[in-house]
Amino acid sequence: MQTMKRLLAATAILAASVVAGIPVQAQQPFAAVGAQPPITILVNSSPWYAGFEKAVELYEKQTGNKVKLDVTPYGGMLEKARNAVRGARSPYDLINLDTQWTIEFYEGGFLSPLKDVDAAFDLPKEVLSYGDSGYWNADKRWRTPQGGKLMAWPPNGNVLLYVYREDLLKAAGIAPPKTWEDVLASCAKLQDPGKMYGMVMRGERGNGIRFDWMYFMLGKGATVVRDPAAGDYTVTINSPQARAALDLYLDVAKRCGPPNAGALGQGDLIQLISTGKAAQGMVVSAAWSNFDDANKSAVVGKIAAVAVPQPAGGKPAALLGNWNMAIPKNIPDAQKQAAIAFSRWFLTSGAQRVYAEAGAIPVREDTFRSDLAQNPKFRWMPAYLEMQKYATQELGYAEGAQVEQILGLRLNQALIGELSSGKALNLAAKEIEELFKKSGRRTGALPPLPE
Amino acid sequence: MHILNRWFKHWSLLPAVLLFLLLTIYPMANLVRMSVSTITFAGGAAHWAWTPLANLQLLTNDAVLGAAALNTAIFVVVSVAIEMALGLALALLVARLSRGKGLARTVMVLPILVPAVAIGSMWKLMYNYDFGVFNQALTAIGFGPVNWLGSTSVALLAVILVDIWHWTPFVFLILFAAVEGVPTDVIEAARIDGATPRQITWRIIIPLLKPALAVALIFRSILAFKTFDEVFLLTSGGPGTSTELVSLHLYKVFFEQNQLGYGAMLSLAIIIAIVAFLLVSRRALTLRAMA
Amino acid sequence: MSAGTSALPLVGRDRIIGYGLMVVAVLCVVGPFAWILMSSFKHQIAILTGAWSFTPTWSNYAEVLFGRRSDFVGNVRNSAVVASVSTVLVLVVGTLAAYSLHRFRWARWVTTGFLGWTLIFHMIPALTLVGPWYIAFRELGWYDTLGGLILTHVTMNLPMTVWLMMAFFSEIPPEIEEAARVDGCSPLEAFRYVALPLAVPGLIAAGILAFIFSWNEFSIALNLTARDTATVPVAIARFAQQYEVQHSQMAAAAVISTIPALLLMALGQRFIVRGLTLGSVK
Repeated sequence: MQTMKRLLAATAILAASVVAGIPVQAQQPFAAVGAQPPITILVNSSPWYAGFEKAVELYEKQTGNKVKLDVTPYGGMLEKARNAVRGARSPYDLINLDTQWTIEFYEGGFLSPLKDVDAAFDLPKEVLSYGDSGYWNADKRWRTPQGGKLMAWPPNGNVLLYVYREDLLKAAGIAPPKTWEDVLASCAKLQDPGKMYGMVMRGERGNGIRFDWMYFMLGKGATVVRDPAAGDYTVTINSPQARAALDLYLDVAKRCGPPNAGALGQGDLIQLISTGKAAQGMVVSAAWSNFDDANKSAVVGKIAAVAVPQPAGGKPAALLGNWNMAIPKNIPDAQKQAAIAFSRWFLTSGAQRVYAEAGAIPVREDTFRSDLAQNPKFRWMPAYLEMQKYATQELGYAEGAQVEQILGLRLNQALIGELSSGKALNLAAKEIEELFKKSGRRTGALPPLPE
Repeated sequence: MHILNRWFKHWSLLPAVLLFLLLTIYPMANLVRMSVSTITFAGGAAHWAWTPLANLQLLTNDAVLGAAALNTAIFVVVSVAIEMALGLALALLVARLSRGKGLARTVMVLPILVPAVAIGSMWKLMYNYDFGVFNQALTAIGFGPVNWLGSTSVALLAVILVDIWHWTPFVFLILFAAVEGVPTDVIEAARIDGATPRQITWRIIIPLLKPALAVALIFRSILAFKTFDEVFLLTSGGPGTSTELVSLHLYKVFFEQNQLGYGAMLSLAIIIAIVAFLLVSRRALTLRAMA
Repeated sequence: MSAGTSALPLVGRDRIIGYGLMVVAVLCVVGPFAWILMSSFKHQIAILTGAWSFTPTWSNYAEVLFGRRSDFVGNVRNSAVVASVSTVLVLVVGTLAAYSLHRFRWARWVTTGFLGWTLIFHMIPALTLVGPWYIAFRELGWYDTLGGLILTHVTMNLPMTVWLMMAFFSEIPPEIEEAARVDGCSPLEAFRYVALPLAVPGLIAAGILAFIFSWNEFSIALNLTARDTATVPVAIARFAQQYEVQHSQMAAAAVISTIPALLLMALGQRFIVRGLTLGSVK
């Protein structure tokens, strides 16, 4: 009888401990990936690299798998990625591609669709979609999950934030602007040439002015081409709405910006805001970490962020950009499996939290909504998340790089006064139409704007 | 030893020829082949199509190329001329110092020692409209700030100034070595004959420097045509097209837009332009020397 | 033996003007470099505001040299190896080739062909060389090796070295070489004991330039190396990020990178002068 009781007690204790153990396991926010061969990742040197490195270290510690990071300057990323995939065997198992390069790699057939490597792999539903830039529909030649294969996952996404000096706006009795008209009104009060600029944005030739201006373009409901998803590449860049958008942009640049608005790059914006010479600005999310760093900023703790303003009466619109991690085709299967294993691990909530805490921009919505958002260091997160709801990607076609260069030049010429806004858009439209004609797209043009 | 001496003429040239054969034939042939093709990528592989006329048409229809060619011509002529003059003057000056020559040479080398990416970034800071050193100095004296990199009329000059600072030491080094190599007895003889230092400089030393001057001019010009890093960082071709140089345009075409075939043809066009430039300047300088 | 020291010194008024101009020139040359030096001790915000009074800090140097993300010491070592070895190789190969072309009678097509070919090659933008070399080196297994990079640097510096050394050899009065030949010097001896010592200033200039070009070469180094074999320019370029430049660390890295370069060049100069003028016959 005694032994029976003891046996029962022992079994009960054993059962209890097993049951008690399970919930702890279920709360574990990481993924079990098993033993994998070492992989090499091509990643760029950036403000969020520190976060990436931390996450990778945790991965190595948790799983025992080795990861080598080839940190490359941004200017060398594309070249290294191209060389890697065009050769016989890529030295990298995961390559990080900026949004505008993805089409080239998708169309060139250089990548292994992720589900081909592991049919069970999928982007967790909490991961932000970033305009579905990781999907590729080869028939439509468009990035869409409908009929498209998953080619890449996002390690980092960018949307412009509208940052402003809380102290200055409060002192002048201005509420954070919701429309561009609000912005112009605020500049009337804040602009003091030589001492303070009301609001600064990029105007430098190329990607700078193109990206920033597109916020105005999308806000006014204008597009570059009519319906690329359906194959209609009629050029619509010289529509009256686009012209209104350009005129609005020029107005803001003139009334709120410095005399060298046509040469401002992202670095200049960060400089003007950090040194306290600009009251408001439109900056990339990655720039945020500069403002609260005492070594880099004279305005620590004074900056707040809201969503980028819209033209009055318009539908909210914003432009997205994001990095994409992809697996090259020319590596052995075992390496592809190891790469997928890392990818799966990286997108878990546990990994994303470590990533965000170390200063990177996470890609999971639940990380944004977690208690991290309470930390004043992450006070930009609500604005970021809000814009993700309606932000879209642009230039998602093979000719994107050339279209960007055409627009980047003509817009800049309009800004520095070499061309009128109508002429700039007409010229751009003509050049873009020729471009599409040469690459065999179904295209056409709008009647030219009055110049 | 005997074999070494007997065939010295040949085996001393051999390593250079071998190295060049091994390492340059493939890239050069590849370049020529690319220039008459259009290369597209599909299915993970490259597909070559024979399209010389199409590439030529791209070349002639290129909207930006005209401006780029003009800017490059201005850039090269002005920079190289000033650098040659300054380099020569400095070389002659330093050669005549009685002390501090080694120090002067070490100091003069510093600008070319700093990596181009650092030079571009630092000068961009110095040219900064609101906080740069130059505008700080100008406002301190009482002039207004100058829009160095944002004004179409000033930007190219600003870039040229950086180039002069960066590359005059190159010319200086070559010419200084050449001046050092001038035999002393010739100079002594001239002095005994009563020639003034100026006469000696112009009539004896400079003519002896001709081969070195030629090399400095040729290589500095070629490098000027290839200038990329500094301009990319300073202005990236802007504002408008005022600092667009052919090397920048080539980068955009060949690299950013991934137009390999047209890009290769553009490179060949640039090479032809450089050769033409060198031939023209040689003609112009020999004509002047004879006059 | 050389011209400037004794032949034509500055005297009197010329002397004052000369030294004055020298001071101006040095200031112009050194000015921006001093500015970089100053920036390397500033925090980023002090650089951005162009402040002249600031609290100096060693943190930039600490981060560049000892930071976890930085392998700068290794990069400097790689650059030192690549630059030194490629300079020695290019001087040897280039000087021999230049002497051969200068001293001996070659058919016209050989001289023009070789010199023209090197010059045309020099005109090709490095951007277009990277692709073929990358593919070739990957095949041969030279990717991510210092040896591969050294070979490309030797090839790229060869045109200038050959042309320079030809120019300096042509400065040697033909009578001296005649005398050597008459005296019964073998071609090798004439080269080693007569021509080379007289061309020492040229060797120094060519050596300095080859070294500097190799030290600062970026495009090829970027693509033929990975993390372990990366050189200094690649490391410095990491501070020029997509959206901004980390000026403070870049300045520190730029300053640090000049020190080994200057040291190696000084050593090289001394070696050339001492090694070659020893036993020279006039």
